[in-house]
Amino acid sequence: MLRWLNGPYQSEFMRHAAAMALLVGVLAPTVGVWVVLRRLAYLGDAMSHGTLGGVAVAHLAGISVIVGALVAGVVMGLLVALLERQQRVSEDSAIGVAETLMFAGGVILISRSDRVGVDLSHFLFGQIVTVDEQDLLINAAITTVALLLVAIAFDDLRTITFDQGHARQVGIPVGGLGIVLTALISIAVVVSLDTVGLLMSVAMLVTPAATARLLTNQVGTMTAVAIGVGVSSAMGGLTLSYHLATPPGPTIALVTVAWFMAASAVRGMHRYRAVAHPRSTASPP
Amino acid sequence: MDHPGRSPVLTVDRLGVRYGSHTALEGVSFQVDLGELVAVVGPNGAGKSTLFKAIGGLVEHTGRIELGGVHCHHRADHMLAAYIPQRSDLDLDFPITVRQVVLAGRRRFLRLGQRMNARHRAAAADALDRVGLGDLAGRPLGSLSGGQTQRVFLARALAQEAQLVVLDEALSGVDHARTESILDLFNDLRACGTTLLVATHDLALARRRFDRCLALNGRLVADGPPATSLHGLALEATFGSGSLDAVG
Repeated sequence: MLRWLNGPYQSEFMRHAAAMALLVGVLAPTVGVWVVLRRLAYLGDAMSHGTLGGVAVAHLAGISVIVGALVAGVVMGLLVALLERQQRVSEDSAIGVAETLMFAGGVILISRSDRVGVDLSHFLFGQIVTVDEQDLLINAAITTVALLLVAIAFDDLRTITFDQGHARQVGIPVGGLGIVLTALISIAVVVSLDTVGLLMSVAMLVTPAATARLLTNQVGTMTAVAIGVGVSSAMGGLTLSYHLATPPGPTIALVTVAWFMAASAVRGMHRYRAVAHPRSTASPP
Repeated sequence: MDHPGRSPVLTVDRLGVRYGSHTALEGVSFQVDLGELVAVVGPNGAGKSTLFKAIGGLVEHTGRIELGGVHCHHRADHMLAAYIPQRSDLDLDFPITVRQVVLAGRRRFLRLGQRMNARHRAAAADALDRVGLGDLAGRPLGSLSGGQTQRVFLARALAQEAQLVVLDEALSGVDHARTESILDLFNDLRACGTTLLVATHDLALARRRFDRCLALNGRLVADGPPATSLHGLALEATFGSGSLDAVG
């Protein structure tokens, strides 16, 4: 068993891949907790796709894809706000239009460019085994900054998410923290880019946090459980993909879904017991 | 309504609020004195929630609002008022404990990123004790009854050190025994100097347990003791014809 677990990590490229998976396993669920609690799963999904536009432009311009992705996140937020000004366009419709524009634009830019010289599937599905030491250092640095931001704003994010009116009343910068959260989603997407790719980064952003919500009743414990699910999914998915010869990104994504289904079953059993034996079972979370 | 010799906690002067082309409130003027318990009544869409949000600094308005004698120019000036929204406006299944809700009231005393210290935690614990929920501090908010939930929000207002508490439909969906218990708590709080404005649809309750009643329907229709403001023409002007039969 130990050999089965250790075996894949004898080579350096797999150790780099494992370190990258760890970073994603910690960061994406930490940000994802707020995406789930604020019911922004669709925005998270759309932003992960829309980021391709920024990534493509950054590649063409020869600058960092991280900068490109962050700018794409801000541009997408502004586009959504602009489209929403049309009275008959709801927020989800505005998000859908902005996503289409930026994703389709990104695909065309990458597919038409000879200079880029990279496979579109690299961005869409990730290529975790190509991660080198420099990628790791950059992603570790931005992960650290993002985690610090969440830690500093944790109590305020909870207050805003629960009762925005009260948050405004007691002087919490609601608009500013909304922009910070948008930036955090962009960062989580960028860090997930190599691991699961843009198309499935929402799997790491939303599924571990949604799994944790089924099992917990406090944001702090929800975050801890989401990180546990994220890290175990990333490492477990990577190990499985090595042994099963499957693509790492989709395998990791499927492991997160397996966790979610297991948590749903546990929650369902707990509720069933609570109904069947109301006195002998503690109230469900 | 002026009360010579008593200091107004809240002064509202020619208040107006518009949402796009819709006028929600127009020309509303009144004063509320320290320790008063005031019911705000009116039909759905009368502007009760809008009035409360304006007092809390949560909607743009015309006219003048003063809290504790200070003209509210900026949102920070509204911190002396605590706005408690309708329960239906909040996700009460949100993963938050009673203590965490109440501690959020102390946030007005902190800067961004600053942590709550022992003094803030003691203030929150004291506020919970005052509303009789000291033992439930660690419980998830979602596990509480409707009446207990309202007490938690009152504790948050106390922790905020608000002089004025505005409660939007605080007693809706709360059973009779718990309603009476919350009204007793309102009386305890006003005895300690807290002023309360409570929106309610229960006119019988407003007559029985409140000092004063504001009848609202886009404008201030009546203002005075329930015996006068909830009778005859004032009632009909607030709720429309047929209201006398409906409310008895």
